[in-house]
Order: sequence, then C-alpha cells, then structure tokens
Amino acid sequence: MSTDTDSSLTTSGTPIDAAPVLAATGVTVRFGGLMALSGVSIAVPAGTIVGLVGPNGAGKSTLFAVLSGLLRPAEGRVQLLGNDVTGTSPQVRARRGLARTFQQPELFMGLTVREHLVLAHRVRFERTRLWRDMIDPRSLLPPAPAENERVDQLLELLDLTHVARASVGALSLGTSRLVEVARALATRPDVVLLDEPLSGLDMRESENLASVFRRVVESDERRVSLLMVEHDVATVLSLSSHIFVLDFGELIASGTPTEIRNNAMVRSAYLGDDDSVSAPSSGERT
Amino acid sequence: MLQYVIAGLVLGGIYAIASAGLVITYVSSGILNFAFGALAFFVARFYYYLHVQENWGIGYSAVLAILVAGPALGVLLYFVLFRFLRLSSPLVKVVATLGLLVALPALTTVIFGNEAISSAPGLAPEPVRVFDFLGVAVTLDQVIVYASVVATVIIGSAVLRYTDVGLKVRAMVDSPAMTALSGTSPDAVSIGVWAVSTFFAGLAGVLAAPIIGLDSGNFTLLIAAAFAAVIAAKFRSLPIAVVVGLAMGVVTSLIQRYLPPSSNWTTEIIDAVPFMFIAVFLLYNLVRRTLDGGADRVGGALDHAITPQGANQLAGSASSALDRGSLGMIARFGGPVALIVVAALLPIIVQGFWVGLIAQAFAYGIIFLSFTLVTGEGGMIWLCQITFAGVGALTASQLATNHGWPILAAILVGGLVALPMGLLIGYLTIRLGDLYVALVTLTFGLLMENLVFTAGVFSNLGLGVNVARPSFATSDHAFAYVCLAAFVIVALFIFNLRRSTTGLALNAVRWSPPGARTLGISVVQMKIIVAGLGALVAGIGGGFLVTAQTSAQPGDFDTFLGVVWLAALVTIGVRSNAAALVAGLTFTMLPALALAYLPAWTGQLPAILFGLGAIGVAKFPDGTLEQSGEMFRRRLLRLADRRSSGTATGSGTLTGVEASAATASGNARTTSVVEEVPS
Repeated sequence: MSTDTDSSLTTSGTPIDAAPVLAATGVTVRFGGLMALSGVSIAVPAGTIVGLVGPNGAGKSTLFAVLSGLLRPAEGRVQLLGNDVTGTSPQVRARRGLARTFQQPELFMGLTVREHLVLAHRVRFERTRLWRDMIDPRSLLPPAPAENERVDQLLELLDLTHVARASVGALSLGTSRLVEVARALATRPDVVLLDEPLSGLDMRESENLASVFRRVVESDERRVSLLMVEHDVATVLSLSSHIFVLDFGELIASGTPTEIRNNAMVRSAYLGDDDSVSAPSSGERT
Repeated sequence: MLQYVIAGLVLGGIYAIASAGLVITYVSSGILNFAFGALAFFVARFYYYLHVQENWGIGYSAVLAILVAGPALGVLLYFVLFRFLRLSSPLVKVVATLGLLVALPALTTVIFGNEAISSAPGLAPEPVRVFDFLGVAVTLDQVIVYASVVATVIIGSAVLRYTDVGLKVRAMVDSPAMTALSGTSPDAVSIGVWAVSTFFAGLAGVLAAPIIGLDSGNFTLLIAAAFAAVIAAKFRSLPIAVVVGLAMGVVTSLIQRYLPPSSNWTTEIIDAVPFMFIAVFLLYNLVRRTLDGGADRVGGALDHAITPQGANQLAGSASSALDRGSLGMIARFGGPVALIVVAALLPIIVQGFWVGLIAQAFAYGIIFLSFTLVTGEGGMIWLCQITFAGVGALTASQLATNHGWPILAAILVGGLVALPMGLLIGYLTIRLGDLYVALVTLTFGLLMENLVFTAGVFSNLGLGVNVARPSFATSDHAFAYVCLAAFVIVALFIFNLRRSTTGLALNAVRWSPPGARTLGISVVQMKIIVAGLGALVAGIGGGFLVTAQTSAQPGDFDTFLGVVWLAALVTIGVRSNAAALVAGLTFTMLPALALAYLPAWTGQLPAILFGLGAIGVAKFPDGTLEQSGEMFRRRLLRLADRRSSGTATGSGTLTGVEASAATASGNARTTSVVEEVPS
C-alpha cells in the first residue's frame, strides 16, 4: 500500500510494476492561478482494469484530458506503449492505440450504430482510404469480410447486434454508452479511457456495463487495458485490479482495492473517517 | 473636416442603432438576426406608405410604423419563428434568419408594390429645417439621428445593466429553463426583447431611408455593415457596439474626403469600407484567438438535457444504410434515378426559350451541389459559395474569350482557381463557431464583390463578357445535356464520398469534433477537404452557368443572391443530390413561369417560398424533398421488413419498421417509437 503525495508512483501486489501501456509522470496543469494537477504520476499495465477516483474537483477529468491529448500539461510526460506522446494531438494518440469515451457520450448522430464501428475500424486500419476512397468506387461495394467480422464480433460482445442498424440518436443512455465503448474497441486500442461510464445509469444498466468491461478485458487476446474514472467507488473497487486516488490535484494514494479500502488517508479525504468503503458511495465528500 | 465628421456621425448613428438592436437579441437569444435589414426595410416602407402614399402626418405615421407595426412584427415573428430557434444549433439559427431575409423584402413588395423609390422623407417635416453648427449645415433629420443614438445608448445601457428586466434578459441566454424555474416567463422576456429589437430596426430603417432610398438591397448592405460594430462588441456590449458604429460612420466619411473623386476605385472602396471593418475585427479576434464556438452556445445543462439529442440540427438524417437488401436499394436510388430520367426528358419536352432555361437550371444544380458538400456534408454555413461560382465563371470567361482556351478546359481551370480560396477560407475558419464562419464567408463574398468583381475587365462597361459554347454543343438542347452530364458526374462523386470512409468521417466531425479527434480523425483535414471541394464544385458550376447564359456578368454573383440560392436549396433538402437538381430547376423555372403565365406580383412568390422554406428548417431540418423521399423510403423498407420478419429472432430486437425509422432519422423525436421490443 502506498500513500503518494510526493508524486512518485509505488506499486504493490498488482501487475502495476509491469511495463505500462500508458503512463503519466509528474503531470502538472495550471488554470491561471489554480493548480488543477500537481506532479501526478500514474501507470496502466496491459490487460488490466485500473480505477481513478477522487471527489469532485480532484482533477480526474483534467488528467483524462491530458492523457487523451485534449490538454497539454505545463510539466510532466505522457507515455503510450513506451513512446513519449506528450506533445501529440488526440488523433495521433488514437492512431497509436489510445481510445476514450466521454462522460456525455460523444456520438455521431447522423450515423447508425454499425457505422460508428465501421468508421472506427477503418480510421485505424485503412487510413489511406481517407483520400483515395473519395474517387474510388469500391465504396459502393459491400465492406470487406475482415471488417464485417470484426464489427459483428464487437456488436455481439457488447450485445448491440439488435440495434446495429439504428441511428444512435434513438438510443437510451445505457445503450449509447455501450456504443461508445464498442466504437473505442473497434480501433483495437491498447488502452481505453472510460470517463464516468456508469454516470446516469440505473443499477441494472450499471451491472450490465460492468460485466461488459470484465468481458472485454478477459476476451481480448491483445490484453487491452481500461482506465476508468468513476464516482461509483463500490463498482470501481469490484472491477479494478489497481486504483489511483486523486484529491485537490494530487495523487494521495494508489494500490489494490483492499489497500484503498483500508487507507486512512483515503477514508479521511474522500469517504469520511467513519464510513465503510464497502458501502455504496455517492462520491460526495462527507 | 467638420462637415465630414457630422455627415459620418449620421451614418454611424444608423449603424449604432442597428447594432444596438442586433446586440439585444443576441444577448437574450443567441440569435444574430441576419434579417435585421429586411425588418428595417419593411417598417421604412410602411412609414413611406402611410406618410407619402396615404398622406398621413409624420407623427401618426411614425408612431404607427415605428412604435406599433415594428414591435408587432417582432412579436409575430417570435411566435412563428424565433421561439423555435432558442436552443437550435447556430447553423439552423443562421439559415432561418437568412430565410427571413429572403422572404420579407419580397413580401413587402407584394404588400406595398414594387415602385422604385430613390428618395424618401425622414422624420423631419419638409422642407427640412437646417441649422448652422460651427459653420456647417446640420439638418433636422441629422439632429433626430443624433438624439436617437443618445437615447438608445442611455436607455438601452441603463435597462440592460441596472434593471431587473436587464438581468432577466441576460439570464435568458444562459438558461431559459432556469429562468422559468425562477418564476420568470422566458416567453414574456423574449417577446419584449424581439419587440424592442424590431423597434430599433424600424427606427434605423426610417432614419436611413432619406440617405439610401427605399431599396431592400441597400438596407441589407447597410445592416450588414453594422455587423462590424456587433463583432467588435463581441455581440454582447451595447455601448461598445454603439461607439464602434459611430466611429465607422466617421471613418468612412473621412476616407471619402481623402480619396480622389474622379477615380474609378473610389466608389468601390467606399462601398467596401464597412466590410473591411468587419474583416479587420474578425482578423483581430482570430489572431487573439478570442473567437470560438462557445460564443454560439445558448442555454445551460438543464436546457440541453430537456432537448432531445440531435433535435434542431441542420442535416440530421442518417447518412446511409450500408447493408440494405434489394428493396432498400430501390428505396434509396429509385427517386434520384427517376429524377435524372425526367430531367433528361425536359429539353425534349419543352421548346425555344425554355430549353435555354433548362440548361441554366442544370448548371445551377451543379452550384447547389457545392452547398450540399459544404453545408450538407460538412455542416458549415458558408455564405460565399456564390463568390466561388463567380470566380470560376469570370475566370472561365476570361480564359475562353480573351485567351482562346477551349471552354470546358477554361471551366475546369475556373474551378481550380476557386479551390485554393476555399482551402484558405476553410483553414482560417476551422476553429471558429458556426456564426463566425457565416460572418467570415459573408465578408469575404462582399469584399470580392466590391473590390474584385467590379474590375473593368470583368464588367466590360456593364456589358459583361460573351462566352462561346463548345463547338459540339452550341445549341441550347446540346448544352443542356452537357450540363446534365456534368451534374451527374459531380453528384455521383458526392454520392460515393458520402458512402466512403471520408464521408463517415465528415459526418463524425459534424456531430462531435472531440469524439472524432479521439477516434483518430483529423478535424482540420476533414473541414479543409470539404471546403476545397465545395469551392471547386461551385467554381465549375459557375463556369457552366455563364456558358449556358453565353455571357458572364459580375452582377450575377451578388453575395446576397447567394443567400437566396442557399434558401432555395435548404427548402428542398441540403443533404440530397436530387434536391440540388430540383432546386436548380425550381430556382430557374418558377420566376420564369410566374412572369410568363401569372400576374406580375407573383414574380415575388419564389423568393417568398424559398425564404419560408429556409425559415422552415427551424422545424423541418431536412427540407421538403428529403422528407418526402424519406417517407417513400420508409414505406419500401417497411415492405422489405415484412418480407424478412419471419427471420427475426432473439430478445430485445427492434422491430423492422422501427429500426428503419431509427436508421432513417437522426432526429430524436423518433425516440418514442424506437424502443427495444421483447419478442
């Protein structure tokens, strides 16, 4: 178990000491006079689900923006598969194996569910087509079998086959989140950032999505990793093999779910001294 | 010097009053009212009707026109249009107000007649009293303008900043829903705002009439110039808008003093000065990176939470179904193929004069396909497509007529000349919100129109440049088929693009730039692609148009005529290739048919219909043809689904019809019928 206010990452008992697919080292972000992140370091190993928790305003979304390339840090580095991607754009990171979802699903209303997956697959694996296909009449032909196979596989994995031809504008929030996850996976990423994926879902939808995450990690032969920001601490504790805790822009702890449950600093800063972590948490300070 | 300042303050005062009216509606609703000039024209024309044609006194005429008719028109428009736009996308807001800009002057002409009025009285009794101020003559009309500006600034600023009413108005743009929950009716506030705004429009119109006459085009240009002040004020600060408006008037007047009166360029430069101001303010903000999409946003989280996803967006249909069966293919392609067949028969069916019009209609269809690309596929509101068409047309005519090029090669090169302009504008506007993109492209069009298209080599003393058709298609019949073939080639290209990965990526960028970027799609690349292609197609279409007309006239590419083109296409369907052809035919044939077979006043009907159609995007974003086609497709797909219903298995499947509906429409109003159905 570690407490980590000096921003040096320590690990214990999890595969966190394996070569990470995604790592942030000493990331600092300032908004004017406000220190949003202060020397934060995290690492996501291959084939794991990692949780990132913290109260509102802790800096979770800012860290996600830095990791995905939507925000440049004032200090620190971001590495993807061992390569420094700190200065690269979101689309470059996406092409190198980073995918993400959003708290409010960012879907493309003009496309069907299936087209979301087709687009994601092609952007990653058929980039030359972006220019060529404007004049290439093969767009009029049916998609390639390999593409169909991958897309069908994902639709099945996420139980989306029955809405494959529906426009995403007509879907419920829970299904929309599944589409976002499927779209992210269609790029065959090495790591997926999940931004509050359970937000706004009822208990049944949350359990369904959580089981999908387990299936995704267990079924992917390429050992995809998930880094999940989530307010529902109980679910994070049950899903993740390793958890990072942020508060006021600083990493205050990291460790296994058991270690986080028993961490006095986390209990004090995040859950309240007397609360049991095993009880469902709303994520609010108490 | 002083006389130039005093004269400039009059023009500046009118800019100031107009910009105050524009700022007030923007602050409360997020709508930049492109139809403000049309509203000003309506009230000014009504005042003229009462005072001159009906011989009413100035006082009664002014009260009825400015204080009653103006605000009443604002309230009426709020109920029939503006209230539907409150949470619409900026794209829909711009298109709807442009529709009003097209329809209202035509409607005004139908109501009050099309008499050309170059001189109109102001609010001062005639003969107009003249005062002496430091040796400079100042008319009572000018004094009334100054007094109106002072009253506007003092009362407007005080009300907006220091009163409860002002607080409610400012709260409206942040969150109409929260305003309602706090006990204030958003409708009541909005009605008041639109009434006040149209009062300002009417006041500006009546004050401007003695200077610019009663010509709707002049009113539109005058108010377009006032946009400069509004941009300088970042759409929100009434005092800054007023001060900049006044300064613009004075600077324009002083520039006039220092330019040689005998130069050909003087008139062009004077006309272009207001648009130079707009360009300067936009560039200043662009360099300082203070223009962003956030300025377009209206409403808070609650407002958007209670608005269905995808509602109120232009071009909301799903792009394609990748894997439909044979009936799906018929549903998708049957209509367009039938339309092309009918279009191909038209030159055979009609005779004489009408064949030439058909050829022009096909050429217009090509130009309209550029809107399909830029607005339909790219989701960008560009108001300079007509300028690109003009660039292509004038280049082609010069190359063919003055340099002996084969006309078809000249047309292609004309398009290629427009292409880099499109790429440049696309690059400059990539990070701007929709409203700013509309303003930048409008300004580009107005500057090109005033500074480039007016060159003697293009206007040729007002005669234009003759354009010879290719030797194998000199007749109207033959050239109509050449234009139709060109249309089909461009339409097939767009069709292929739409189904391609690039098309899907364009769709993604239109709906969610952050989602697209994190998927690995370059938003910059996509927008520049569509911008360049749009300019290329418009340029080529322009070349075909002047060849069909056998003459290239710069006046045919007036920037605000491009707004009518956009309105015509939006009315029918901005994302449909077939709609571009129908819009071309409608735009060309309707006025000619009205002129030939109907009473004279019906000549205004096409503009009214196109304008109302564009206004209609507030409720029907896909346009009439697209929506009719969608109904046809749904019927055929329902038939296909009935055939395959026996094979549907598993729990939680969508019924075929519902899936079709969901596929066919991105509009979340279908949410109620598209639910998971246990089998």
